[in-house]
Amino acid sequence: MTSLSSSLAIASQSLMAEQAEISVTNNNIANASTTGYSREQVELEESPNNGVDITGITSVQDELLNIQIQQQTSQQSSANAQVNALTQIEDLFPSTGTSLSSSLSSFFTSLTALSANPSDTASRETVISNAQTLVQQFNSVSQGLSGPASALNTDVTTDVAQINQLSSEAASLNQQIVQQQAAGQPTATFTDQLNQVETQLAGLTNISISHTAEGDTISTGNGTPLVMGSESYALQTSTDDSGNTQVLDAAGNNITTAITGGDLGGTIQVRDNDIPTLQNSLDTLANQFATAFNTAQESGYDANGNPGAALFTVSPTVAGSAATISLTTTDPTAIAASSVAGSGSSGSNGNVASLTAVQNATLPAGQSATGLASGLVYQVGSLTSAATASSSAASLSLTSLSNQQSSVSGVSIDQETANLLQYQQAYEAAAKVVSTISTLMNTLMNMIPSGS
Amino acid sequence: MRFVPNITTDVIANIQQSNQAVTTALQQVSTGQRVNVPSDDPAAAAADLQLQAQSANIDQYTSNAESVLSQAQSADAVISSVVSLLNQAVTLGTQGANEENNPSNRASIATEVQGILSSVVGLANTSYQGVSLFGGSVTGQAFTADSSSPTGYTYNGNSVINQVQVGASVTVQANIPGNTVFDSPSGSVLGALSGLATALNSGSSAQIGTATQAVTTALDYVSQQHTVYDSTVSQLTNQESFLAQDQVSISSNENALVGVDMATAEETLSQAEISNTATLTASAKVLQNSLLNYLPN
Repeated sequence: MTSLSSSLAIASQSLMAEQAEISVTNNNIANASTTGYSREQVELEESPNNGVDITGITSVQDELLNIQIQQQTSQQSSANAQVNALTQIEDLFPSTGTSLSSSLSSFFTSLTALSANPSDTASRETVISNAQTLVQQFNSVSQGLSGPASALNTDVTTDVAQINQLSSEAASLNQQIVQQQAAGQPTATFTDQLNQVETQLAGLTNISISHTAEGDTISTGNGTPLVMGSESYALQTSTDDSGNTQVLDAAGNNITTAITGGDLGGTIQVRDNDIPTLQNSLDTLANQFATAFNTAQESGYDANGNPGAALFTVSPTVAGSAATISLTTTDPTAIAASSVAGSGSSGSNGNVASLTAVQNATLPAGQSATGLASGLVYQVGSLTSAATASSSAASLSLTSLSNQQSSVSGVSIDQETANLLQYQQAYEAAAKVVSTISTLMNTLMNMIPSGS
Repeated sequence: MRFVPNITTDVIANIQQSNQAVTTALQQVSTGQRVNVPSDDPAAAAADLQLQAQSANIDQYTSNAESVLSQAQSADAVISSVVSLLNQAVTLGTQGANEENNPSNRASIATEVQGILSSVVGLANTSYQGVSLFGGSVTGQAFTADSSSPTGYTYNGNSVINQVQVGASVTVQANIPGNTVFDSPSGSVLGALSGLATALNSGSSAQIGTATQAVTTALDYVSQQHTVYDSTVSQLTNQESFLAQDQVSISSNENALVGVDMATAEETLSQAEISNTATLTASAKVLQNSLLNYLPN
């Protein structure tokens, strides 16, 4: 048997349910543009005694999508870090104006000019000034390569600091989620935040996450724990012998080479692999070119008829050659263009051919000086374009994943507006029921004759 | 699948992509280059650098060739002058050998021959842009007066022949040393002229005839030196036209590697602009779309 009062009870349940719906809709609209927010919905079910029960408020999420997004974020940040650093390096190798290649080429053309007029002082001075430009290019490109390296060390330090900050946030969120769950309170807000923190962490380095009763356990790609339950383990940094910032785990073990992905991984990749490779190519070029040219100098005689002496001072070891290469002299007569000793040397061009031959002679590295210089440009270009391609690929994939995630968890203003209209009508209907019951009650009361 | 409620990120990504396309197309049109930084096409950028170096070398070879060409032409002109002076000397010698001539006439002819000798030495000392044409690799005068020498002059130069680079593996002879041209055992110009002067001053007609014959031999010898310069000049002319062709083919290679076809580039640019306008217009419409716009207040 239903009575008016039980109907009233159902109606008031209904009012509460619609209020909950409106309140959740309100919250969804309020967080429509909050990063990391997953839309919430009220779970309703029919009450066993008729009417409606609110069983809970749930957050709509897809765990698999979250993981994929974290992975792609990691890859994209890594590629972006590489693109940023490599683009700066690429500027060291301009395709127009003065570059390493152009100054190498100018140096040799000015030597070729000596062939036509070996005794001309102006031509000799041009050779010396081109040699000077070439040496400066070696020095400045070498310096330009080490410049980003020191900026990258700063990046490593800030990345590690951010990872530690986010790890401790994640640990405290873990703790709050566990507490809320114990108290039977909704955890959606904290879960969203934890998710957001995890995505940010993934942007810094590759992470893996496992869910436990104590909250999420987060570790780096190589298994170094960052967060376990309510505990976070801070990474540390130290500086190695060559001045590079190393990453250490909480126990002090060096995990630098094991770091992959994310801004930190990309930064370390450029600093520890790309730049040293380029620097080595540059040093090899400087060392072998200078050695070969000095040898060619020694086979001839200078303008004063003395045996040719080395023109370049270069380090005996390959490492550091480009940074330290310099000219032994700025005296234009020192160019050993001549093959004639003693007087009559200045007008001979007999050794010019051996000097210019250095341009296209195969150096010990297996390529000519010109070949090595353009090979260096190829290396820079292909590293940069690979990083750029990887960044765009990750970005496309991330856009598509975000769309999918948005389609699952995102707030649609249109949908919320439509829902709002629906809830408003339902609320009005429930209110109408209340007012109808109230009228019926009144009618019922009025049936009782009043005492006179 | 539920529709994607938040299209803003999509719209922003599309606009960015479209702007990027316009920027790239504009850069290609304004620079005329498809490869503006190495990463645009690493292999082409590297190959282009090699071509640039080759092209710079060709420019220098061309300028070397031009400079050697002028030098060879000057030297050739000197040889021509020497030849005509020697012809004069032969005429004078023949005249002096004539028995009609008395000693005083012969002495004045000898003075003329001596004059020719010093003119020849003057020519042998010609320098071109500071380079002594007949001094070998020695700068400065090739011949100077020397009373102890039988010819009255001594050679200060050496026998160095400079081979000038006018191609990656092409060299041409730029000079003939003075001792080869003017003081060669097979026809010494200076020796013959001074011999003729001596014979005119003190010798018999027969001796003068022999001395004149020696000048004729020297004349023939010097004339032959023309062929050296002629060969240099023709080599250089050929080489210059080869270098010019090579330069053209290198720049067309460069263009194929890193350049853009202007018509295509402009087409791409205008397409990119149209597409950009379309993207922006569509985005502006789509972003405004909301149920709220259609609900009564």
